[in-house]
Amino acid sequence: MVRTPIIRFDKVSKSYGDLDVLQQLSFDVSHGEKLALIGPSGSGKTTILRILMTLESLDSGSIFIEGEGLWHEENNGQRQVASDAHLRHMRSKIGMVFQLFNLFPHKTVLENVTLAPVLTGAMNASEARVKGLELLDMVGLSDKAEQKPAQLSGGQKQRTAIARALALQPRIMLFDEVTSALDPELVEEVLNVMRKLGEETDMTMLLVTHEMSFARDFADRVMFFDSGKIVESGTPDTLFSNPQHERTQMFLKKVIAAGLRV
Amino acid sequence: MEWDWAFAFEILPTLGKGIVVTIQATLAGSVLAMVVGLGLAIARRVKNRWIAMPASFFVSFVRGTPLLVQLYFLFYILPDIGILLSPLTAGIVGLGLHYATYTAEVYRAGIDNLPRGQWEAAKAVNLSTRATWQHIIIPQAIPPMIPALANYLVAMFKETPLLAAITVLELMNQARSIANYHYKYVEPMTMVGVFFLLVSIPSVIFLRYLERRFSTVSQ
Repeated sequence: MVRTPIIRFDKVSKSYGDLDVLQQLSFDVSHGEKLALIGPSGSGKTTILRILMTLESLDSGSIFIEGEGLWHEENNGQRQVASDAHLRHMRSKIGMVFQLFNLFPHKTVLENVTLAPVLTGAMNASEARVKGLELLDMVGLSDKAEQKPAQLSGGQKQRTAIARALALQPRIMLFDEVTSALDPELVEEVLNVMRKLGEETDMTMLLVTHEMSFARDFADRVMFFDSGKIVESGTPDTLFSNPQHERTQMFLKKVIAAGLRV
Repeated sequence: MEWDWAFAFEILPTLGKGIVVTIQATLAGSVLAMVVGLGLAIARRVKNRWIAMPASFFVSFVRGTPLLVQLYFLFYILPDIGILLSPLTAGIVGLGLHYATYTAEVYRAGIDNLPRGQWEAAKAVNLSTRATWQHIIIPQAIPPMIPALANYLVAMFKETPLLAAITVLELMNQARSIANYHYKYVEPMTMVGVFFLLVSIPSVIFLRYLERRFSTVSQ
């Protein structure tokens, strides 16, 4: 039996004024898949994550999460724009980690993690605390629980942000260039948490990244984007060792020339 | 012009009553200005035009007309449509609503200064709009705006003599009636000035302290 894909993009388009960010984009992601999105900046990969997290709307096309419309709902066979209630229902399936962490600076590390489960009614305060400490332990920050984000290093901030996103037990995690703002020596600790997450859970993970060697080791599939379109998609080995398209080859060559790790 | 100490002491209790009213009007007006101002700032940001537009209109309207005219409206004209306010209530409502349009602007700036990432993170962890305001936006936006808010409250305090125009027996009105009765202006008016100075100067010092205290709040 073929399972419904956990994410389906069906002819999704999005533009900002004259700029077409996504053009008739269609692809599926299967349950538990680790999908890396790579490509030059402005190619639309971050927009894909932002639309999935409902931070931005789409102009046309449909997105389905486990077969259910993300930005639309069906009422008596009529297609309607998603209501706020529907969007909140869909958001509960998805977690996101941002490039610039976006931690809540007025809350402690533990509160950053427990705030949403408590306020959304998913857990009571003591359950959330237990779960929060468990997650902080998982990302190696048990000893920082009572500190404020300002007292943390960039890598610690990002690990807190991962714990925060996991607290609502999403099925899909989105990672938007989560190591781009970090000092090089702090990158590995964040990637390690993501590896651990990949090994210990069957969570579906989408990552936009410039860490090519990580994408190669970690992802089940890599998609190369340019100008809002998928140029090439395949296993990391195929895409990195034997890219079929000229644009993919040029991009990888440039990345190597820039000294980034491949 | 001679200063009459005996007269000054004689009128002190009456002026004292006025001081109490002045302080009442300032405190109640401040609370109103802070609460309504926040409401206006939030209302102007909501997507629903039927809430945002009237709020914007109200702000422009109140800012575009003098406080004295507004006080006259509240006290002398509202009774024509059946709304009767006591002088002090009308005064507090007038001061509070007038300054709410200024504090609304302070709130707006404070809210706009928060990074967009805070809104996005709140959405990503699925907080409701209400929870986002209550737990993420307002607690972060308020501390940096405290000096600016306090500044408007000091300004409001110095505007309270306008309430004399709608028969509120605040400090200025008490002083004026004493002066008119005795034909002696030096003592009551000087004492009014001294009282305002005694409150304003410490307030300014306190404001400087607030500015230092909250400008160093870091992320």
